[in-house]
Amino acid sequence: MTNSINDLLARHTLIFTIVVVIFSLFITFFSEPYGNGLISTSFVKTLGKTVCLCIIALAMDVVWGYCGILSLGHFAFFGLGGYMIGMWLMYERTAIIVQEAATNELLPLTETELSNAIGNQIFGVVGGYDIPSIWMFADSLGLQLILVITVPGILAFIFGWLAFRSRVTGVYLSILTQALTLALSLYLFQNDSGLRGNNGLSGLQNIPGIEYLGQEVISIGFFWASCVFLISIFLLFHSLMKSKFGLIITSIRDNETRVRFLGYNVEIYKLFIFVLTAIISSIAGALYYPQAGIINPAELAPIASIYLAVWVAIGGRGKLYGAIIGAAFVSLFSSWFTGGQAPNIPLGIFTIEWVNWWTVLLGFGFVIITIFSENGIIGFLRNIFVKEK
Amino acid sequence: MNTLLKVEKISVSFDGFKAINSLSYSIGKNELKAIIGPNGAGKTTFMDIITGQTKPDEGKVLFGERSVWLESDQKYQVVWDENLLMKSESQIALLGIGRKFQRPTVFELKTVFENLFISMKKNRNPFSVLFQKLNRDEKNLIEKILGEISLKNEQDRIAGELSHGQKQWLEIGMLLTQEPKLLLIDEPAAGMTSNERRQTVEILKKLSADKSVIVVEHDMEFVKDLECEVTVLHEGSILSEGSIEHVSSNNEVIEVYLGR
Repeated sequence: MTNSINDLLARHTLIFTIVVVIFSLFITFFSEPYGNGLISTSFVKTLGKTVCLCIIALAMDVVWGYCGILSLGHFAFFGLGGYMIGMWLMYERTAIIVQEAATNELLPLTETELSNAIGNQIFGVVGGYDIPSIWMFADSLGLQLILVITVPGILAFIFGWLAFRSRVTGVYLSILTQALTLALSLYLFQNDSGLRGNNGLSGLQNIPGIEYLGQEVISIGFFWASCVFLISIFLLFHSLMKSKFGLIITSIRDNETRVRFLGYNVEIYKLFIFVLTAIISSIAGALYYPQAGIINPAELAPIASIYLAVWVAIGGRGKLYGAIIGAAFVSLFSSWFTGGQAPNIPLGIFTIEWVNWWTVLLGFGFVIITIFSENGIIGFLRNIFVKEK
Repeated sequence: MNTLLKVEKISVSFDGFKAINSLSYSIGKNELKAIIGPNGAGKTTFMDIITGQTKPDEGKVLFGERSVWLESDQKYQVVWDENLLMKSESQIALLGIGRKFQRPTVFELKTVFENLFISMKKNRNPFSVLFQKLNRDEKNLIEKILGEISLKNEQDRIAGELSHGQKQWLEIGMLLTQEPKLLLIDEPAAGMTSNERRQTVEILKKLSADKSVIVVEHDMEFVKDLECEVTVLHEGSILSEGSIEHVSSNNEVIEVYLGR
């Protein structure tokens, strides 16, 4: 009995992997550089970004749907990942441009002149040319990649350790995570935060060193990288949640006190999941923002993390593919409606313009889905197709 | 005789209300004892204190008595392994104190087997748990416990589907897989049919063969069937102690408890 269930689950991951690979091949064969160009480069980027959003939705599902921690701060980790990779992208590209411009000069630039020129290019908008000390690793891709993992990891660790140790749970914890996100976002909005204030980091789509490939090729590369990461994270979470560790995680969600009296240190388990999902969110962000091209503090605003919870709830929490369906479905619809492509509906005296009315539609959809199906779209589909017992 | 748990003069009050008032209690190895008392006598608070959920205002809770030969004084000295007041709930559970709650508290969405699997005595460190697989010995142990709690045929059922009595047994089974030294059992017979009660009495008696068991009940009949030493709690302190015949003939006990 248990064996047949395991077989079925193992097949689930296989089916998922095959679907994502076929989807990626399909997109590639219709893309501009490798196919007939039916799918535009900008749409490939949209899809690649959507895949990254699916990854953070998976992380959200594990922390909320499986472990029961309604974090309203995971998008902050996503944004931090974007900032960490963005620093290298922006610094390195500016350095290349400055050096190229300097080749026409008679005298080669000194170290200080070079540094000032780069600083001026990057920080001119916030009035300065000193390179802040938090940029000291920005010339090294390897170090910035390590920061992508360590900065959100350490932040999540400190925050989680303090919050879980004090037994903050439920809605209070949600509020705390939201406060963390808001604080981070407000800090980054300041010009002297060292990360260009509300201008954020831009030009991230130009990858230093491989710019000659062109955006058509780079976008396909990022799209594939995102898909591979999505599959790996799906497999990781799937095997983790299927193991004894996963049993304990869902038990903590269902009855924390019982788990504690069984002798498990609940706080450590929560911390483990919180930090792990924060790091995965950050890596997803590091893949997302080079495709988006720009990151600014507004991306980290609390509303983004709330949207994340909405995607997971709509898709179906407690099921990994539910999170993916929710994130893909809602974010693609969202960009369709807010991109001005959806036809407006004239009602005589009043016209529904979807750019403004999309959030209302989303809100209604959210309410209706959660009323009629506790487990989101997935729960709804399962009720129809899977007749259990 | 070796004492396993010793509670010395503990007191705790909530907002001025003295829930436990200078209470002392002890239980030996492999002993079965019962605590009875009317609602609000402090029975559950007493368990909360032992398991670390509530910290008492004063008093001591010691666990695991040992005699140590003192070379210098040429005599044995009694030492206690653990001071429970310094430990968290999970640490106390790991020392070997298992607790069954008043309402059956099992993981309702998991199967009976999974419930027992996660209770199993093993390294509880998350990094170790990541790689733990069920081996043959553990599988056999779970099967054996399933037999003891009469749930062998229900092992693949979702725990939430079990009857109230079966959930109580499952919870006892979860305590057994932890291989505890001391079991604290809060109202095991609540909501059981008379048939289930009889079976529960058998299970509890069998347990006390190699474990210490404290049963908290307010059903006098059930306690009578356990045939063990009884402690009557009233307003946070001990009113009477002894055999069931002894305590039920005590006038004070009759007045506060049986007389109602």
